[in-house]
Amino acid sequence: MQTTIADSLPPQRALGKRLRKRFFRTPLDVVITVASVVVAAYVLIPLLDWTIFSAVWSAPEGDASVCHGVEGACWAVIEARWRLIIFGLFPYEEQWRSSIALVVLVVTAILSCVPAFWTVLRLSLLWIVGFAAFYLLMRGGIFGLSVIEPSEWGGLTLTVFFFAAGILIGMPMAICFAMMRRSTLPVISRTMAVIIDGVRSLPLVTILFTAALILPFVLPGWLQGDKIWRVVFGFALFFAAYQAEVIRSGIQAIPSGQDEAAKALGMGYFHRVTRITLPQAFRNALPTTINQFVITFKETSLIVIIGFFDVLASGNAAYGTGEWSFAYVEVYIFVALIYFVFVFSLSLYGAYLERRMRVGQH
Amino acid sequence: MADAAIRISSMDKYFGNFHVLKNIGLQVDKGERIVICGPSGSGKSTLIRCINRLEEHQRGTINVLGTQLDDDLSHIDRIRREVGMVFQHFNLFPHLTVLENLTLAPMLVRKTPRAEAEEKAMAYLERVRIPEKAGDYPGELSGGQQQRVAIARALCMEPEVMLFDEPTSALDPEMINEVLEVMRELAEGGMTMLCATHEMGFARQVADRVVFMSDGEIVEQAPPAEFFDAPKHDRTRAFLEKILDR
Repeated sequence: MQTTIADSLPPQRALGKRLRKRFFRTPLDVVITVASVVVAAYVLIPLLDWTIFSAVWSAPEGDASVCHGVEGACWAVIEARWRLIIFGLFPYEEQWRSSIALVVLVVTAILSCVPAFWTVLRLSLLWIVGFAAFYLLMRGGIFGLSVIEPSEWGGLTLTVFFFAAGILIGMPMAICFAMMRRSTLPVISRTMAVIIDGVRSLPLVTILFTAALILPFVLPGWLQGDKIWRVVFGFALFFAAYQAEVIRSGIQAIPSGQDEAAKALGMGYFHRVTRITLPQAFRNALPTTINQFVITFKETSLIVIIGFFDVLASGNAAYGTGEWSFAYVEVYIFVALIYFVFVFSLSLYGAYLERRMRVGQH
Repeated sequence: MADAAIRISSMDKYFGNFHVLKNIGLQVDKGERIVICGPSGSGKSTLIRCINRLEEHQRGTINVLGTQLDDDLSHIDRIRREVGMVFQHFNLFPHLTVLENLTLAPMLVRKTPRAEAEEKAMAYLERVRIPEKAGDYPGELSGGQQQRVAIARALCMEPEVMLFDEPTSALDPEMINEVLEVMRELAEGGMTMLCATHEMGFARQVADRVVFMSDGEIVEQAPPAEFFDAPKHDRTRAFLEKILDR
């Protein structure tokens, strides 16, 4: 006897039956379902009307007056001011540089998420090239590009730069911190514990202030560097202190037999850490690591207090010119969407990694 | 003398204030097969783990293949390269495939080229009779298969001495034999073996000498026939009665 594929699948109920079973089984179910639909309609219909049907989408010649007296959203503000939000104070004629730089960073980040790039050599090459391209484009000074100081950088490009640079510098620091924290020498492990707890007990704002304003008084001139790099370093330090504990928790979850087996095979400390401990630690700590990335991405908005115009600050500036000051909700929704795209991509990627790694778990 | 693979003399080991191993003296010749037995907590595992410095001893000397085991890291490295170890809980690397488990250490430690390491790994997988699992992850294997992979992993380093730390204690009963079979073949091939186990049948058939430990001491050592049929010490007799009359 032949069995078709349909026979071997579990029987599918008709849609009507399934709906009835899930939403209308008892009188209480009926009440809850109906009430939910009414509430949803009550909220959604005006919302849709505001965002789409009654909205003004464009303002000819950037004139804000088209939105006056309109019931719906004034998306025209985005059309008129999006360059400010994405590029900040970057000079108008040179904004193509900022946009390419942004694309370069995002592409570099995406490429480094591809497993084929996961060797120390490839990842470092990729990021060195990526950052070099970014820096050349943004700062200029060669190939006939005019010099644009980091103080003029801004918008989404600056946000992504701080995020990428902070994590890129912070992650190796975090790994070192975590390994030192686990050292069998009390001098090293205790000292590291104090440093980690010290950094964690400081608000990020304080660290950024210190990096931007106080360090120049303390450090000799040749060590000061540009403000942007001091701030990136402060940002990285803050990330590293938290991420070190995330990695340490991942290491803690590895059975001691793993390290012993590697030792028994004659593997040295460096190989044991890079081939046995860290790959497993990152697997264990993957959800928390993604969480840390998400938090870090949003914390970039704090750089505004030391005079950098990230995407949120640029958004504030975008509606802050009197003419568009009524349209702040639209601007904030737009900025929120940008954040959402980045954060949601991060969590999708995290979910992909978890699926991919499940193969190797028992 | 020249043929000694392992020479341990008046060795003491403490865990804190607890005296785990007391005045251990043991010599293992090349090609010799030693089974260490004794009640749990008697120090057999600790003794085996001292030989490749997974545990540090506090007094006495351990000499492995002519190298003194002391604080000199190069000595420890040399000994670990030449001494293979199989654990009770397999300790395969779960994030690597079976083949990668086998080739990792030869490539990193012995600097064997990948192709050669893989060829050798496949040969050892044949020998433990699971070449078809090369691409699988350890989590997809049964306990017996994992332990056979663990044996192959140790053999890929081409060690001169193999240490077994209760290799069948964590296995389901029906899988014990497939592992013992592999160990038996290894013994027949002339490998120097030191094995802590409760498998008395294996000890009787394979061992050149059985070492009985109790409370951190070596109480008695003798060839299996003598050990099982005419034990000299009361403690040995009490242990054998308990373990054989099940």
